[in-house]
Amino acid sequence: MSQRTPALTAGEWLRFLDRFAIWIVLLLLLAVAALLSDAFLRPNYLLNILRQTAPVGIAAIGVTLVMIAGGVDLSVGAVISLTAVVSAVLMEGDAANVPYAVVVTLLVGTAIGLANGVLIAFNRVSPFILTLGMAIVIYGVTQIYSGGTARGVVAPGFREVFNARIGGLVPVLALAFALVAVLGIFVQRATRFGRSLYLIGSNAAAARLAGLPIARVTVAAYAISGFCAALGGMALLARSGVSSTFAGRGLEFDVLAAVVLGGTTFEGGRGGIGGTVAGLLVLVVAFNLVNIVGLDYNAQLIVKGAIIIAASALYARLKVRR
Amino acid sequence: MTALVARARPLGRHGIFILLLILAMVGAAAAPEFRTPENVANVLKQSAALGVLAVGQSFVIVGGMIDLLALALGAGVGAINGGLNNRLRVHPLILTFGMLSILQGMIFVYTDRSVGLVSPAFRWIADGNVLGVPFAALLLAVLSLGAAFLLHRTRFGHHLMAIGGSEENARRAGIDAARVKLVAFTLSGLSAGVAGILLAGRLGTGYPNAGAGYELDAIVAVVLGGTALAGGRGTIAGTIAAVLVLGITSNLLNLLEVSAFVQMLIKGLIVILAILVNQPARRPL
Repeated sequence: MSQRTPALTAGEWLRFLDRFAIWIVLLLLLAVAALLSDAFLRPNYLLNILRQTAPVGIAAIGVTLVMIAGGVDLSVGAVISLTAVVSAVLMEGDAANVPYAVVVTLLVGTAIGLANGVLIAFNRVSPFILTLGMAIVIYGVTQIYSGGTARGVVAPGFREVFNARIGGLVPVLALAFALVAVLGIFVQRATRFGRSLYLIGSNAAAARLAGLPIARVTVAAYAISGFCAALGGMALLARSGVSSTFAGRGLEFDVLAAVVLGGTTFEGGRGGIGGTVAGLLVLVVAFNLVNIVGLDYNAQLIVKGAIIIAASALYARLKVRR
Repeated sequence: MTALVARARPLGRHGIFILLLILAMVGAAAAPEFRTPENVANVLKQSAALGVLAVGQSFVIVGGMIDLLALALGAGVGAINGGLNNRLRVHPLILTFGMLSILQGMIFVYTDRSVGLVSPAFRWIADGNVLGVPFAALLLAVLSLGAAFLLHRTRFGHHLMAIGGSEENARRAGIDAARVKLVAFTLSGLSAGVAGILLAGRLGTGYPNAGAGYELDAIVAVVLGGTALAGGRGTIAGTIAAVLVLGITSNLLNLLEVSAFVQMLIKGLIVILAILVNQPARRPL
């Protein structure tokens, strides 16, 4: 086809591959999955996968923005844990408390993000270690706040609303994930803030010389990441209904894997939310695939790890080497 | 807070040693038990596994990479990791994440509960004394000296630093970056194997999940010790000092009977404070 359309040169083909490599990997994986099990052809099952991945996915969108600007946020797993507990405790099993609980929970997440952002923007510290330290602090606070056990009662209706399926098909949680993703893509592409993120990530010195408000943009990016993680915490609470104190532990690695698979690098300046969504889907499809094939948990871990490495290697091959 | 931190900044690369000194003095003043030789030996024994792990991790981080695998396994895995990293161009973080999952699976396939009693020799390595000094501490000291020599005095160490500083430049200067990185990953895997032995010896049994969380502690220790996460800068001595800071903190909080929850909070705050004080005085952009 490329011979017939002279508009599409070899270089453009490579750029196309570069941009959509992770989507190609996802399609290949889905094709393999469909061969192994016809469940992957059912829209119901595919939408359920989206529902399943909503908490991690929503948090990953905020982290992507941070990483475009060359930072990283490892505190999202802890924020998810804390906010799930906070919102369950504030709800007290009463539907009338829901609006109050939601607002406070989002404020808590945003405040933690703000703290991360301020500490990072005004000091030359490694965001990796700082947010890791913040995660340990948050786990401590979560434990003290909850007394170390699952506390709080989810309000009636809260779970039902989020776990409902619109028209009996589209899960509300999946829709919420899609909505946040679309909003994120809009912010990343069409706003001055979004473009600033790319500029700061690709060359902070040049961005400063050009007069970009680096500190303000950095703080905003981390605040958004905290906000998204709080949304993720509530999504997790809605999905599971239990506010365990370590509910989000380790989720930051799922988030990071999805973001990096999606083409956003630790150096910053590249990638985006679209890639993150695809990277996340590669991870969950891989996970569901080993699940549905009926491997036991041990074998699942092995195959899942192998798929992640293989997908990443394939992706690296597809990408243009500069 | 920022002003306070700014004033503390000239401490620069010695910040972690000063922090260690202050902590030790505060500990000695606050808790009489802290000063006893038994307790000091205890802290050293407890820190040995993390110390060995962090020393190995230092090589990987100085080279500008990262290895989350840590405790899961021996040199073989480290080498596979390095090989895959070079050949497939997989991002090191994704790679170790994937390998971590694979190894956890394999460990659980091998055993899903605590296995067997550790042989007396193992237990002695972790718990025994030589002339009143814990063997584990001696082992850590010897390994650290060896590692410091390797990193600061050999061609391999200089090459690794150069790669961490700028892989592109190192390659143009004729350094075989792939081989050096492979060796770094192998060293990290090897030290993880030794750390695993120490941990198993201390617990007295092989518990499949024993190493969980250690990989992050090791990375924290390395970076607290002044090694730049971006690579190209760092010392083994700093790493060891940071390991001791973490070990003394948790020992002291235990002696003062602080609850585990509050301990977690304090540990996190120390990490944040230490990274703020100990941040690199970077060259102006």
